[in-house]
Amino acid sequence: MSELDRPLREQAGAVAAGELDPAALLDEALARIEARNPAVNAVVATFPERSREMLAAAPEGPLHGVPVVIKDEWPLPWRAQRFGAAEMMRPVEPAASAPYRALRDAGAVIVGVGNMHEAGAGSTGNISVYEPARNPWNVDRCPGGSSSGPAAAVAAGLVAGAVGADGIGSIRFPAAYCGLTGLKPTFGRSALEGHHMAEITTMIVSGPLCADAADARLLGSVLCGEELAAGPPGRLRIGVIDGEVTEDVAPEVAAACETAIEQLRSESGGEVLKVEIADLPASALAAVLIANAESLDGISPERLNRLDPELSPIFRGFAKYRMLMPAAAALKAARVRDVMRRRVADVFDEVDLLAWPTVPAVAPPLEAPLVELPSGVLTADQANVRGAGLANLTGIPAISVPVGRDAEGLPIALQLQAAWGRDELLLDAAEALERANGREWVECRP
Amino acid sequence: MEATNDYLAGGLAELGIEADEVEMAVVGAAHQLFWPAILELLALDLAGVEPEPHPDLSQAP
Repeated sequence: MSELDRPLREQAGAVAAGELDPAALLDEALARIEARNPAVNAVVATFPERSREMLAAAPEGPLHGVPVVIKDEWPLPWRAQRFGAAEMMRPVEPAASAPYRALRDAGAVIVGVGNMHEAGAGSTGNISVYEPARNPWNVDRCPGGSSSGPAAAVAAGLVAGAVGADGIGSIRFPAAYCGLTGLKPTFGRSALEGHHMAEITTMIVSGPLCADAADARLLGSVLCGEELAAGPPGRLRIGVIDGEVTEDVAPEVAAACETAIEQLRSESGGEVLKVEIADLPASALAAVLIANAESLDGISPERLNRLDPELSPIFRGFAKYRMLMPAAAALKAARVRDVMRRRVADVFDEVDLLAWPTVPAVAPPLEAPLVELPSGVLTADQANVRGAGLANLTGIPAISVPVGRDAEGLPIALQLQAAWGRDELLLDAAEALERANGREWVECRP
Repeated sequence: MEATNDYLAGGLAELGIEADEVEMAVVGAAHQLFWPAILELLALDLAGVEPEPHPDLSQAP
């Protein structure tokens, strides 16, 4: 087995113990990107000399000498982000963004920039100025978006850890489609500065995409600037709900998630409780409307009239449609946020976790990202946002964990959500689930 | 349908936003997708709900 195939924590441990030469590890990562990336298009830029400079200057941090990938959503000192798009709506420049600094100060070596869905505006990853990343489990399927490249890079074994961003599910969707563990931290807890919307957004966070919860804990701790300490999860009270996020779901996904919830309950000695969140479907639209309104900052009709023609027609048309959305709807969305925050806080008085499928169906085809659900055929974006918007709308943390594969071998994922600041509990619960299922799904490789 | 087209094309024109045929098709598709949900949202009865002043999204309300 290559050293690159070891978990992130083992790579870090071996480097720290002097058992693994980080320069050789970096060379191996670069060689593997060269060999495997053409099939998955996960990494859109490498800069070997910069990576070697990072390694030469790397402090003795928790990721000393370990190669990682960062999404094309933050600037690096030698490269401005492109946001997966032919142009960005506001000027950007190379800079030492907060995620870059967190990685640098932890001793990590950024080996490449990860592809992403154009402008972060999709759950599938099927549109990008770089051409889409591809799902390592089946290269004709969507890798998930918008953090498509970071997820595909880890799933393809190019690196053991990658940094993504989650504005409405953009870490959790690709984690689900690519069979990874992806953590969306509590709002404001992880490094964001340097993101072109950092001063405006009430939705976006950075977070880790890794093979399992222990690696996500390590990389997540680096991004949060504090240890996400491990501990026993206790007797978990797992909340489940009736509604479209659990019922309008492909049967194989529903079955795998139900099994996982029962395994987690049994492992923790806890209980499964039915809870209610009134008006939950409104949370998804409210999240979309707020994200749309925030993305309009600084946009003028004049600016929209000189969009780069290389932007996708979907982006160009939707950017213009946003200007027609009624202000009353954005205000109502803000009110829905107030209500949902209170209702979710009440629910977390009753339970420790909320659990439902991360996405209602496995990764759809890149050519036509549609999913077939009991209610009919929907676009993947329509279907996926239903279960993802609540965490971004309210600020709570969420994690996607692999819990099975469908008949075609594509990953199935469960989402766990917890109260504000209980990111550690999500990781503890994910590790408990791994113990319960014998790490069957986190050990799987395409 | 005519009213919808008037709203979309007229609204963009009033804002001084140009849109080609393909972009207008996307605008129409987005409207079909979002408008019913927006109307439902606007109709949602949240009377009596007090706004959360300056919400801190990193914490419970």
